[in-house]
Amino acid sequence: MSLREVSMLPWVEKYRPKSLDEIVNQEEVVSSLKNILQTKAVPHMLFAGPPGVGKTATAHAFARDLFGPSYIDDGYFLEINASDERGIQTIREKVKMFARQIPMGEYSFKILFLDESDQLTDDAQHAFRRVMEQFSATCRFILAANYSNRIIEPIQSRCAVFRFKPLNKAHVIQYLKRIANNEGLEADDQAYEVIYDFSEGDMRKAINILQACASISKRIEEKTVYEVMGYVSRGEVRKILELALSGKFTDARDEVRRLLYVQGIMPSDLISAIYRELFYIDLDEGDKLELLDLLGEVDYRISEGATPEVQLMAFLARLAAKRRRA
Amino acid sequence: MTELWVEKYRPKRVADVVGNKESVEAFVKWMKSWELGRPPEKRAVLLYGPAGVGKTSLVLAYGREHGYDVIEVNASDWRDEARMKAVVGESSLQATLDGSTRKIIVVDEVDGVAGREDAGGIAALSRIIGETRVPLALIANNPWDPKLAPIREKCLMLEFRRLRKAEVVKRLREIAEMEGVKVPDAVLEKLAEMSEGDLRSAINDFQAITGGRKIVDEKALEALGARNRVKEIFDALRMVFNAKSIRAARAALEGLEVDLDMIYTWILDNTPDQIPDPSDLADAFEALARADVMLARVNRKQEWRLMRYAIPVMTGGVALARRHKPSGFVKFTFPPRIRLLQSTSAERELRRSIAQKIAAKLHLSTSKALSQMLPYISFIMANDGGMGDAMARYFEFTASEVAYLRGGEVEKVEKAGARRRVSRRARKS
Repeated sequence: MSLREVSMLPWVEKYRPKSLDEIVNQEEVVSSLKNILQTKAVPHMLFAGPPGVGKTATAHAFARDLFGPSYIDDGYFLEINASDERGIQTIREKVKMFARQIPMGEYSFKILFLDESDQLTDDAQHAFRRVMEQFSATCRFILAANYSNRIIEPIQSRCAVFRFKPLNKAHVIQYLKRIANNEGLEADDQAYEVIYDFSEGDMRKAINILQACASISKRIEEKTVYEVMGYVSRGEVRKILELALSGKFTDARDEVRRLLYVQGIMPSDLISAIYRELFYIDLDEGDKLELLDLLGEVDYRISEGATPEVQLMAFLARLAAKRRRA
Repeated sequence: MTELWVEKYRPKRVADVVGNKESVEAFVKWMKSWELGRPPEKRAVLLYGPAGVGKTSLVLAYGREHGYDVIEVNASDWRDEARMKAVVGESSLQATLDGSTRKIIVVDEVDGVAGREDAGGIAALSRIIGETRVPLALIANNPWDPKLAPIREKCLMLEFRRLRKAEVVKRLREIAEMEGVKVPDAVLEKLAEMSEGDLRSAINDFQAITGGRKIVDEKALEALGARNRVKEIFDALRMVFNAKSIRAARAALEGLEVDLDMIYTWILDNTPDQIPDPSDLADAFEALARADVMLARVNRKQEWRLMRYAIPVMTGGVALARRHKPSGFVKFTFPPRIRLLQSTSAERELRRSIAQKIAAKLHLSTSKALSQMLPYISFIMANDGGMGDAMARYFEFTASEVAYLRGGEVEKVEKAGARRRVSRRARKS
């Protein structure tokens, strides 16, 4: 890749940490992993934590620090995303195939990284558990998950569990400033604050917002960020809530469906956006409290596996039954 | 192997085509003017109407009877303009002068050339209609789809309606005689009724219940049930929404040969129309949401035992919530959810293909790429040409993907601060 092309990469890729030293805000995890690197006694590992805090980047950085820069091409590292391949078939074929081959070269084992492993079905997890034992001589597994409670006990007990912390504001902003500096952007403090608020500590999202802002202006202000986010998501959520409140339930429903099924918005993002808007809509405080309570329930049910669309409809129907503040 | 009757008894001549006489005659007249060397003003026909009423059969029968090569293109196969030009455009310009091989081009499922992905396809088709030297027959179920607007006015529009029951019975009777099958009228009538004017499904059903036997009686009908699905669902819905007790509501689903997800969707999408009072509606949805939680547990943990709670909660919950009824009868409707998923399938497919490319480069799942990267990449590509080109190269997007992303649902913000709307929705309408 030419230098010029590197400079034009999506920033989430361009500024992805390349080694453990570049991982932000996960000091405990990083220092444990460095110990492991020294002893080269690599256990199976489970990386648990919210999205965008560096789980995938850490797995890659760890493998690179361990096996060297061509860790993928040398056949030491395979990444599988369980959300795309969640069935037992993946475990039986792809995972086994990779895990059982003895690596050629100076290392006696390789690493299979199973991202979003909480998306595996229970059946696939049980199959996976056996694979972990059978092939541990030739393959170590790193699993990443948002919700470790969705990983079955027997797998958890075979892994060293690393908890990734949510990124705090200072860290996210510091990282963004580094990027801005490198890209020749000017951004004011207010803008960084707002980007952080929208990102909810998800570095990937924060960097995306920054790059989207940069596509319209090299001088980024608070309103630039609102401009971007307004188009990317926020306006649509307000519209949905307004439709429900004006008694146009089916229109609100159709809009939710369009966002979920056509736009592919993640239910959790949609709920977060509703959560943010809920404080500002035209309702009695008591009604808002009731709706917040319900939204919390909806959020939990979805994390438990319920259908997002249906749960959101129940929420909107309840909202539609409320009266605007007189 | 037994031949399918729908193929075996496809009309061989125009005169064999059942029903829709006016449209059949108009089609013949249109073909005649091609044959007289005076291509009609409208060089394409759009044959439209529900499934199984003879649209494709008419064209095939005409071709066969008058010695044409019929070139069939299935619209759901195309992806883009280039393909359309290659397949349809090329053939449409090659009219042989001596008339030795005459051609008709049939483009099936034109309304399946959906959304943005194939927008170039519709535009190309529109140009081809203007230039074609051979008759072009387009076929669609729903011609009023907005995306077909550019070609509608260029086509002779021929409507095909559902066939009358008597027409279906008559054709079934003819087939029975040719097959030497003894069957009472009552059975054929029932088949015709269930088909709702869809001759193809009636013939299929008839062949299915016959199962190779030479004598068929009414008992054979019991084997069917698949296609009268919709009617059964309507009955079940009526019972659910009008039930006075949980027991009655639960009973509505008994013996229904439809899977539970499907009936759930029907109840879910009919609930807003059937329950006019907002607070009743909120209660009904809460019951549906609770049933959904239980069904999720059934699926995830394979706890089939829990199913017995889900069904009474979803049916009884909705029935009990309906304290106020709509004034007058409100008819049950086909779930908009299913329609939405059908009508947006091309756009969703395009987005999916974009997301897969993003996912492959950025260590993400496709669904995360879809929701967390695509909106930003689309925004950047719409606003910054240079960065956009680099993105397109990096992710190896195709031309149609780039076009989609550039016209994405974002507003283009001019550097001067003035705004120009490039909303996808605005353009579509």
